[in-house]
Amino acid sequence: MTITRRGFLIVTGAAVGLLRAAGARAQQPPAPVPGKEKLIVRSPRPVNLEARLGDLTVYQTPEELFFVRNNYDAAPIDPAQWSVKIEGEVDNPLVLRLDDLKKLPTLTQDVTLECAGNGRSFHKPRASGIQWENGAVGNAAWKGVRLADVLAPARPRASGRHVAFDGFDKPPTPQAPDFIRSVPMWKALEPHTMVALEMNGKPLPHLHGGPARALVPGFVGSASIKWLERILVLPDEFDGFYMKSNYTAPRADDEKEIYSLQSLEVKSVIVGPAEGARLPAGRTAVWGWAWSGEGELTGIDVSTDGGQSWSPGTFAGRWDRYSWRKWEYEWDAKPGSRTVLARATDSLGRVQPTSRAFNRLGYRWNVIHAVKVDVA
Amino acid sequence: MWRSLSTAAVLALAAGVAVSLRLALVSAQNTPIPQTPGWELVMRCVMCHSVEVAVQQRLGPRGWSDTLDRMIKYGAPIPPEDKEKLLVYLLRHYRDPDGR
Repeated sequence: MTITRRGFLIVTGAAVGLLRAAGARAQQPPAPVPGKEKLIVRSPRPVNLEARLGDLTVYQTPEELFFVRNNYDAAPIDPAQWSVKIEGEVDNPLVLRLDDLKKLPTLTQDVTLECAGNGRSFHKPRASGIQWENGAVGNAAWKGVRLADVLAPARPRASGRHVAFDGFDKPPTPQAPDFIRSVPMWKALEPHTMVALEMNGKPLPHLHGGPARALVPGFVGSASIKWLERILVLPDEFDGFYMKSNYTAPRADDEKEIYSLQSLEVKSVIVGPAEGARLPAGRTAVWGWAWSGEGELTGIDVSTDGGQSWSPGTFAGRWDRYSWRKWEYEWDAKPGSRTVLARATDSLGRVQPTSRAFNRLGYRWNVIHAVKVDVA
Repeated sequence: MWRSLSTAAVLALAAGVAVSLRLALVSAQNTPIPQTPGWELVMRCVMCHSVEVAVQQRLGPRGWSDTLDRMIKYGAPIPPEDKEKLLVYLLRHYRDPDGR
């Protein structure tokens, strides 16, 4: 069989035409992910979804409003088939199934997870990565077992000073790096660090790492590896792309040396009033959420004049060691265009900054949140 | 030469068209991208991730070039002669004027 030049042109012309037609039909935003219709789709593959700040109105973020950050996707896992290996610097390597974990003492705690890149889109110049605004954060009740109890029967050696987590999410090519991150042993053994099996009273949903995920409260979200496959006890910090290149930033804006991110920053967001709101003059509630990773919140200050003066707000309602806290401030709003700011402080002496120096991958965004409103 | 294209070449061409079409249709569910020269190379990116991962970025020349180098290292099917064309396309449509 041969093909003429004319025939070749017809075939390729038709192909280009069909490609253009396919592209021309593409006049719609990404389809929502089932069960997560209220979230903004930053990427359907891998799945990356964030909440609108105005939807985060309750202390316990419902599953349908809880952000999703995947470096790679994973196929759904049958809980009955699932197991996790514990290996590396241990005297007794183990394979544990879900039933084995369920025999251990359980704990339930409210923990706020935030993606390390939350707020990346506000960096100037723009940084590379998913362009999150404020909604890659959520607070859920997590039930599971302590990582310390999971590790104990494997008998970690004294040489084991870090613990790495590897999930069933795998890169699409053999050349791309596996998504593996480690935490120091002191954090792995802290009584809050767990293997989570439930979220908000239900078996851990697939999009949130079910049937079992690491949960490292206070650390950036990427420490809490989903779909656990292996737990590795290591003498040193895991030497891979997602520890040494991604999820790294300078510790301070005036430093050049980078480190692999650990604690979340001290941070607050204003949920109400919303950006651009038109308010009647008089008493109005300013409120939002604050959190601080390894620190504990010590205060929240609010400014309603663009930062010229600050007044203390108050924390209200339920909270847990690593959860966000609701804060409130009663504002006697006078007519005019107003800029409302919130600034949290924590027990580590950290205060939300007025600016953040550019870092290559757009992490550590905890700049004071500002909301512009019109008071009539 | 046109009369001498073999059956294998025709099949390879047809397979290429089929793959391209499938990818275009997959991406057609999502964010549209401008169809200027180089847009067809973006279809090679969507073999591994959705088009949104790329087109939500606003980077400068170094940022985009480093990103492409990293993707190529990780197996993106973009030969060296196509990298420049794709870089021009990305900088035309997805550039941060202050970007690095």
